[in-house]
Amino acid sequence: MKMPRREFLRAGLLAAGGLTAGTVGADRLLGAGAKSSGPRAAATLALTPDGELVVTPSAEYAALAQTSDEVRRGVPGRRWVMVFDLAACDGCGQCALACAKNHFIPTDREYLRIFKMQDSPDLAPYWFPRPCFHCDNPPCTRVCPVGATFKREDGIVLIDNERCIGCRFCMAACPYSVRVFNWGRPNDPPEAHARGYSPEWGYPRRVGTVEKCDFCADMAREGKLPHCASHCPMGAIWFGDENDDAVTNSAGKTVRLSKLLRDRAGFRYMEELGTKPRVFYLPAVNRQYPAPNEPGANHGNLPRGGETQSAQ
Amino acid sequence: MTQPIAAAAAESAGQPEANIVERDLLATLNPLGRAGHIWIASLVGVCLLALVAYIYQLASGLHVTAMRDYVSWGVYMTNFVFFIGISHAGTLISAILRITNAGWRRPITRMAEAITVLALMVGASMVVIDMGRPDRILYLLIHGRLQSPILWDLVSVTTYITGSFLYLYVAMIPDMPILARFARERGRSPRLVRLYEILSLGFRETPEHRRRLTRALGAMAVIIIPVAVSVHTVVSWVFGMTLRPGWHSTIFGPYFVIGAIFSGTAAIITAMAVFRRAYRLERYLLPEHFQRLATLLLALSLLYGYFTLSEYLTAWYGGFGSDSRLLALLAGSTAYGTSFWLWGVFGLFIPIGLLVMPSRRSLTAIVTASVLINIGMWIKRYLIIVPTLETPFIPAQAAGITPHYFPSLVECTITVGAFAAFLLLFTLFSRIFPILSVWETLEDAEEAESKVAVERASRHTSLAPAALTILLIAGALISVVPWARASAQVQKPVPRIELTRSMVDSQDVLVAKVSTNGRAVVHAVVEFSVTRTFGVMTLGQDTTRDDGTARVGFPVGLPGDARGELKFRVTIESPSDLIGPPLEVVLAGGAPRVAFIDNVPRALWSSRAPLPMVATIIFLLLCVWITYAFVVIQLVAMRRLKAEA
Repeated sequence: MKMPRREFLRAGLLAAGGLTAGTVGADRLLGAGAKSSGPRAAATLALTPDGELVVTPSAEYAALAQTSDEVRRGVPGRRWVMVFDLAACDGCGQCALACAKNHFIPTDREYLRIFKMQDSPDLAPYWFPRPCFHCDNPPCTRVCPVGATFKREDGIVLIDNERCIGCRFCMAACPYSVRVFNWGRPNDPPEAHARGYSPEWGYPRRVGTVEKCDFCADMAREGKLPHCASHCPMGAIWFGDENDDAVTNSAGKTVRLSKLLRDRAGFRYMEELGTKPRVFYLPAVNRQYPAPNEPGANHGNLPRGGETQSAQ
Repeated sequence: MTQPIAAAAAESAGQPEANIVERDLLATLNPLGRAGHIWIASLVGVCLLALVAYIYQLASGLHVTAMRDYVSWGVYMTNFVFFIGISHAGTLISAILRITNAGWRRPITRMAEAITVLALMVGASMVVIDMGRPDRILYLLIHGRLQSPILWDLVSVTTYITGSFLYLYVAMIPDMPILARFARERGRSPRLVRLYEILSLGFRETPEHRRRLTRALGAMAVIIIPVAVSVHTVVSWVFGMTLRPGWHSTIFGPYFVIGAIFSGTAAIITAMAVFRRAYRLERYLLPEHFQRLATLLLALSLLYGYFTLSEYLTAWYGGFGSDSRLLALLAGSTAYGTSFWLWGVFGLFIPIGLLVMPSRRSLTAIVTASVLINIGMWIKRYLIIVPTLETPFIPAQAAGITPHYFPSLVECTITVGAFAAFLLLFTLFSRIFPILSVWETLEDAEEAESKVAVERASRHTSLAPAALTILLIAGALISVVPWARASAQVQKPVPRIELTRSMVDSQDVLVAKVSTNGRAVVHAVVEFSVTRTFGVMTLGQDTTRDDGTARVGFPVGLPGDARGELKFRVTIESPSDLIGPPLEVVLAGGAPRVAFIDNVPRALWSSRAPLPMVATIIFLLLCVWITYAFVVIQLVAMRRLKAEA
């Protein structure tokens, strides 16, 4: 997928016979989107596999550096994992906002959705943030007829929008209603075109294809927390590497994953479905905030929900 | 069995009976009257309108439908299931009746087989219309994953379409010479005559031709039944294989198959009634034919009712949370509930009543029941698909969203267009080929019935159903890490810190020894931590003792880096004059990192299908396609006979 572009880039380079020309060639190749990143904005000197030096805009370098094999395989040796502390989540929705902003998500959908749950009228309500669970036994990935959605060795389930045929079987198969669809022609802002497409960030979008939370695969690759985790004012979202046995939150606090799950009685949503999610929850006991429906609670500021389907 | 046709034909005029049958049956091919032209023109008009709607949908994306993220399948899938359903008409009526040598099938088979082929073409196109990226349809071949039920659909529907074409055609061959003669006599266009001649493969009434034909027809009649059953089973599995209330049901395969034959039989009766009236075939499509089919329809409606009861009663009685929510929507006081119970009354009970009463003798009752069943089965399919999607496990209402679906104008137009296309194709088919099989009608019911008494369809008893082998990859490489050797690198800021791992009081601890200029520092607070991917994890704090040592439990079992090493960090928190940059020490003793362990069988979601699955599917397909090849060989042999003559 990325290969032809890279081959093309190299061919252009050789023809021009110079680094400067190469940069220009890269700019032209990367299309209108690249221009908006500014002239000569952050260029990277990169060595191609064949030992040639090329200059490319840094943003594009990330895309060029990853062959589709690497994207499909994931970061070696890692097993990304997320933990939501329901005792700390006060439903403010900052996570969903940060996610939407950084993924250029249109207003009709959310990757991370916050539900106000109440399991029975006698039980206390609580906030329930739901990203993609990146299941270890993903029902969505089973049913994809073309392998457009795939499970990586580092645990992440991604979608290749350059292969998705839009049958929406995965949407029907996901028991958590995580997946969303580009029903209309996408209207991404220019910034979304700057770095080219990769399943690791999912934009620029393509009409008629499925998308969802990607665990910020590109951020994790660089050792950075996903946007939702780093923007949670309560430090309620923990992210880490299961192989590290540690998770970190927005406060920069790092704790041992196994101990956290053991001490706080962590659980996974609907374990009985057998999907083996990579997202854990800590039960909402000893809340650090007013529960939903209590005085002073966040209510109704579910930032973006409600517009999705009620419009129809 | 009965030969009312011959009797009826013989009593009219004094002509030879064969001529009358031919005249009557081929009359369907005569030029159309005004009503016929209007009919065709309006169907073409509706189809064109639907085409415009589809082009509009292509240009703007599926946004123009009412489907959204929660209800992501709608009337297109309903139409798909419906048309594949009525395509089962041909199989049952034609193949089963042919195998069991039931004489009364003769005027019905052609119509049934035509419905199969045409409904399949319309049904298959609905899936393409439903696709978000029809331009990538070839990816199904390039990147196809056999684990996906959609691939099963693709393979079985393709096999079924091919088979039904072949079946329809083989059964039409003996009609072709008659048609060619007829077209020549009537002075029809030479091109049409040529078409009939080519399609006839030079068939003549010789024993050799007859033998080949009988063989081909017999083989097709047998093989098409398992293929048809597999098709609707696989269609049901598109729903049944998902973890959704109302879909994830073990009876979905047989439930859909029975539903398909049920609606297919009703479709045949409806088509028979229409053609009987339009082409004045009262002499050939006798009340007896309707009544026999009505008996079959009655049995099927009872069976379908039984399956429905079994499906929903267990869900209701068991009261599993998600099932209850679905049933509250599907059968409660909602619009779906109203439709569901209306379907129960008008789509099931009233038809059963009409079919079971003595008035079953009346054609009006039978045809009314069939039409009701057809409408009802479309609604039933809609009720299977949409309410389930409106009932996700995580209630959307908890996020302030109410999933709701009602087809948009574009979807309605395309749906109406699909029905118009089906009717148009059926009309055009009946303009070119006789809608009743001339040769079979001509055959004397007693003696000429081709000996298609085919040996029992040995339904591949040798083929056990595909047992999915679980592929467990246990790729753990566990290397024993050298235990005791703890190497300490020490930096040299003013306070000197030494970090070691040792056993103190039989406890595995990290010991930091703090000294300045060789003298132990007492009462200094030392914090121990270890670096992880996204941050630094605190292990604990301790105050130095008299010998200047502070200690904290070693994080046993904490995974180290690739070499099993842990990067520790020691910071002095107080006294303030000793606070400086942290000491970083790499120690052995981290638990080994696991490279990649699959703790779940990945056979179903890996990019390649497991071998037993591939082998089973290929084997089943080979059985079918080899039979097709056998049929084609018979046809080629027939063609060669002509060349020799």
